[in-house]
Formats: sequence, C-alpha cells, structure tokens
Amino acid sequence: MTSAVDREPGAPSDVDLMLGIQSGDADALSQLYDRYSGIMKALILRIIHNETEADDLLQEVFMEIWNQAKNFSAEKGKPLGWMVTLTRRRAIDALRKKQAYARAEERLQAEPERQPLAWVENATEKDIEAGDTRVLMAKVINSLPEAQQQVIELAFFRGMSQREIAFHTNIPLGTVKTRLELGLKKIYDGLKELRDEL
Amino acid sequence: MSFEEFQNCARLYVIGALEPEELQDFEAARKQYGSAAEDFINQCYGLHEAFALSLKPAKASNAIKDKLMSMVRERGQGQSGPRSA
Repeated sequence: MTSAVDREPGAPSDVDLMLGIQSGDADALSQLYDRYSGIMKALILRIIHNETEADDLLQEVFMEIWNQAKNFSAEKGKPLGWMVTLTRRRAIDALRKKQAYARAEERLQAEPERQPLAWVENATEKDIEAGDTRVLMAKVINSLPEAQQQVIELAFFRGMSQREIAFHTNIPLGTVKTRLELGLKKIYDGLKELRDEL
Repeated sequence: MSFEEFQNCARLYVIGALEPEELQDFEAARKQYGSAAEDFINQCYGLHEAFALSLKPAKASNAIKDKLMSMVRERGQGQSGPRSA
C-alpha cells in the first residue's frame, strides 16, 4: 500500500511527495494537500467540532508538515501515519487550549447521530464489495462492541486518559483498560489483515 | 512484562492512553525487547492511520489551500525550503 487513498496511475507515492517536500518542492505539498486534506479535515472536525477552527487548523497542520518534513523518516512509518499523528496532536492541543471541552460536549450531545458509533458513514455493502479502504477500515472499527468503541472514541478523538474516561463514563478504571486493550487489538489485527490483502 | 503485555501497552501508548504509572514498566520492557519493541511500536502508529481512514473525508476549502501555498512560496523565496526552517 504505497498510498492510503486512490491515486492516478503514475502519480507520485506519498513517500515521493514527502521527499519532494523535504527538498523544498512546494508542488509536492500542493499534491499532498489535494490527496489528504479531506481526511485531515475530517479528523480535525471530529476532534474540535467547529468548521472555521478546523479550516484554520488544517492550514496550520500543512504548514507544519512543510516545516517539519525533515523529521519524517520512511523507515519509521508511512507518511499518512506521521501526518495523522501530527494532526491529532495539534487538534487535541487546540481543543484543550481553548478550553472547548464544554462547548464541544454540547455539540456532541446535539448531534447524537454522529456519536459515538457513527464512524462508518454511508457504508453500504456495495462500498464494502468495492474494497474502498475507508469503508473496510470503518467496518473493522464498527464491528467492535459498542462499549469498546466508546472508550476508544474518548481516548483517540478526545485525547482522554484511562482515568479521565473512567471518570467521564463512570466505568471502573480496570474495565476501561480492558476495553481499550481489546478494542485496539482488534483494530490493529484488522489493519494488519487489510494491509496483507492490499 | 511479557511481550504480549508489552504489545497491549504499546497500543495504548501510541494513542497517549497509557497512565503515567504504567509508563515506567512500559519503558523498561521497551528496553528489554529492543528492536522487536521498536518495530512493534512503529507498526502500532498504523492505528492512527486506521482511525483517520475510517472517517468520511470532509470538504477542504480551496481558499485555505491558496493561502497555504502562497505562504509556502513566499517563504521559499527567502529560504531554500523546510530543511532550513
């Protein structure tokens, strides 16, 4: 899997684009933006739930990709993993700095259909048969028991520690840990299987 | 800590969900298992990819891209690129 999303035949791989950015090629950044800005924005929106702030943060994230590209090493992982790690960290930092937990919570409660389980949107059997990576990945996540999805949602998309999750959900700390471990293992195994197939 | 326990901790570690008191044992096991541990941790970062890929992409603004590229090109005039940032 040289790229996590579909790309035109002959288009540069993600690693090629990162190497281009490392050598100061702005067009490489432009192509990377076209390829991944939708995914990055979805991730940011998932964390901060505000369209305007998400746009601002998206711009900051790609600027950071440009500035920090020298720290990327293909030996240590894939470009998308590196970008998602960076994006998630920035979004969670922004959420904390603005003390927006309360506001985000209100929005979350106002949008129950998106929380906490709607990680698969528009996932039809047809999409799954078509082998779309997003839908396949979402299918893995959605196959988890609700209780496991809930704790993973809070840990990954809201940056909560096990203790914070236990406090937030009123679930014993040991149960939170077990659910996180089981859920993450299933997702990890699903991801591995998906990669082996591709 | 067995390697299986280490693997469970590593998956929590990469998403920042390992509690401070668990970190010490995790770091000790990380040292003990050496390159096998590092390889596994790197693979675990794929979890980030999985979560992102499970989301339906959002519409990203062209104006944001234009502004970004303008900033990058402007910056590039005075500098040789991100290496010198």
